[in-house]
Amino acid sequence: MIKFGPGNLRVPKWTRPVYMVSAGMTDFRKKYPEKKLEELVLEAVKMCVEDPKLKKSAQEVRDMINFACYGEFADHFQDQLLCEAKVHDYLGLDPLFNVGIKTGGATGGSAILMGSSIVASGQANCCLVAGWERMDEVDTWTGNFYISTAACKDFETRLARIYASYYAPMARRFQQVYNLDEKVRAAVAVKNRGYACSSPFAQQPGKHTIEEVLEGPVVCDPLRMLECCAMSVGSAAVILCDEETAFKLSDNPVKVYIAGGSHTLRVSDRRDMEIPLLPNEDEHTYEKLYKDIKSSDGRWPGFESFLAARFAAYLTYQMAGIENPIEELDLVELHDAFTISDIQTYGDIGLTRYGEEPSYITSGDAYYGGKCPANLSGGLIGTMHAVGATGIFSAIEVMWQLQNRYDEFHGADEMWKKFGKTKPTDWKSLQVENAKKGLWVSHAGVGSHVTVGVLEKGW
Amino acid sequence: MSEEQVVKYTGEPAKVKEVNGAWVIDFPRAFTHHHTYGKLTPYFKGLTEGKLMATKCTNPKCNISKGNGEMWLPPRADCPDCYAAMEWIELKQPIVGTIYSYTEVKRGGTGVEIEVPYYQIDIKFENCCTIPKGYLCDSRDEPKIGAKVTPVFRTENPSHTSLDISWKSL
Ligand SMILES: [Zn+2]
Repeated sequence: MIKFGPGNLRVPKWTRPVYMVSAGMTDFRKKYPEKKLEELVLEAVKMCVEDPKLKKSAQEVRDMINFACYGEFADHFQDQLLCEAKVHDYLGLDPLFNVGIKTGGATGGSAILMGSSIVASGQANCCLVAGWERMDEVDTWTGNFYISTAACKDFETRLARIYASYYAPMARRFQQVYNLDEKVRAAVAVKNRGYACSSPFAQQPGKHTIEEVLEGPVVCDPLRMLECCAMSVGSAAVILCDEETAFKLSDNPVKVYIAGGSHTLRVSDRRDMEIPLLPNEDEHTYEKLYKDIKSSDGRWPGFESFLAARFAAYLTYQMAGIENPIEELDLVELHDAFTISDIQTYGDIGLTRYGEEPSYITSGDAYYGGKCPANLSGGLIGTMHAVGATGIFSAIEVMWQLQNRYDEFHGADEMWKKFGKTKPTDWKSLQVENAKKGLWVSHAGVGSHVTVGVLEKGW
Repeated sequence: MSEEQVVKYTGEPAKVKEVNGAWVIDFPRAFTHHHTYGKLTPYFKGLTEGKLMATKCTNPKCNISKGNGEMWLPPRADCPDCYAAMEWIELKQPIVGTIYSYTEVKRGGTGVEIEVPYYQIDIKFENCCTIPKGYLCDSRDEPKIGAKVTPVFRTENPSHTSLDISWKSL
C-alpha cells in the first residue's frame, strides 16, 4: 500500500518480555561435504545448549525447550521438502511442535520474530530457533539461477538469472542521485572482509584494498566480485525464553525487540509515496530531499531505499524506546549481501538521514572504535550468507558483544581449532567496550521482507 | 548381481566421489513445469503481436485511482488498492520510455537465454506508476539514465516469455 490506515501502523505490543539466552553456530564454508545438513544444525544447537555460562546442564536445557522455529530459505537448495521435520527429529525434539519459516534472505530474522512472538504470547517459555542453508549441492551458476527465482519469474528472472543484476541498477541509480563515490562501496567490502579476519566462523576473510575491490572483475556493472557475498553452507541457533526461564538459565540474557516490514517482490512496482518518519525526523527533515528526488525524475523509495526496512525500524524503535539510533545503539549488524544494499539501509534505519548514507562510512562511525560500528562479525560479505541462518548469525554476534563475550568465541584457540583453522598471529579483538544496545537487520530479495531487531542488556 | 535380487534396479547408477572421507553422489534434476500466465495472458500474447498491453484501475470507488488510475507495467489483473478488476489498455505507438537505471550483465546464471554481455534497463513511462525491467536489443548501445527508448517486439519466432520485448535507443 502507499497510504496507511491507523491499524496498519500499530506498534507490536507483546504480552511479556522475551530474552535471548544462548547461541551456537557452525563455521561457514562455500562447500561442506564433510557433514550432512542435519549434522551441521545439530552442531550449532549443541553449542547453544552446552554454553558453559548457562546455569543448567545441556540435558536440563534440552528438557526445558517447548517449541522450535526453523529458518530455511530455499527448498531448491536443500532438495528436501519438510527438511524441518528431518532436522527436528535429528535433534531429538519430537513430539514438540516445530514450524518452518521462509522469507528469503530475511528468513533468519523472521524465525527469531516468530520465535519471539511464540514466547511473548505464552505459547512457549523456551523456544529453539535454528536456521540453515546448504548451497553447495549445485554449482555457483545454478545457485545463482535458484536465487534469481526469488525475483518475479514472469517478468524478471529471465533477465539475467543472477541476483546481482537486480541490485546493480539500484547501485547505478543511488550512485547518480545521491552522489555515491564507488570508493565508499568498496570501503564497505574492505571493512567487512577485514573484520572477518578476526572470526573463526568466517568464509571469506581477507585484507583487501579499495583499489583491489574496484579493479576486480565486474559481476553486474557497477558491482564488483568482492562487493558480493558468496554461496555458503552452515547453521546458526539461539534459545529464546520468557523472563523467568531466561534468568533460570543465564545471569546475562539479552532482551529482544523485533518487528518486520515488507514491500513488493519487484522493485519496478514500488510506487511513489511519502517517507514514514522515525522518531528523530519531522515533516521538514526531507523538504530538500523531496525536491532533489523530483528534479532527478525519481521517487521514494524508488531504487535508492527500502520501505520494508524503514517500516520495520519504525515499529522496532517504538517497541524498544529508541529515539536517536546513531546515539543510542552501540553497534549494528546489517545485511550486506551486496555493498550497495548495506549502504541503502543506513538511511532506512536512521543511522543517517536519507540522502546522506555514505557519511556513515566516511565519518568513521561505522568502524571499530567509531560511534556505532557495523558488521564487526565480518557480515555477509566477509563471514557467511548461508541464507536461512544469516539473520540468526547477525543476532548472535550482537548478543555476544552485549555479553562481552566477543573474545571468548572469536579469540579462543579452541574455536579456531574446532574448524580446522589456525588463529592468525595478528588476531585483533573487536569487542565493543561496555556495549548495551545493538541492532541487527535481516533482509530479503531486493527489500521484499526486512526485520529489524534490537537487543539490549537484560541484566 | 545376486540371484536373490529379483526386483530390477532401473535407474542410472549415481556417480560418486569421495571428498574428505564423505561420499558425495550426483542427483540429476530435469523436469518441466506447466506455468500459466493466467489473466495476464493478453500481455504475453500482445508482445508476439507487436503490442504493449498495460492495465489500469477504473473503479471510481478506489481509494488511490479514484476511477482513473495510472498504468501498471508489468500489468496486474486486479487492483491492489480496491481489488476491482483492472482494465486493459494498449500503449499508443510510438511508445517512448525513459531509462531510469541500468546494469551491464556480464554473465547470467545457469539457463540464461540472452547472449551476454548485455544491458538490462529499467524504464519509466508517463502516467505509469511502475518502472518495468527490460533489456537493450543491441549491446553496442550504451545506456544512460534519462535516455529515451522504444520497444522492439519479437513477433517472429517469439519465445512466449517476457523476453519478447526489448528496447532500442531513440
Ligand atoms: Zn483500484
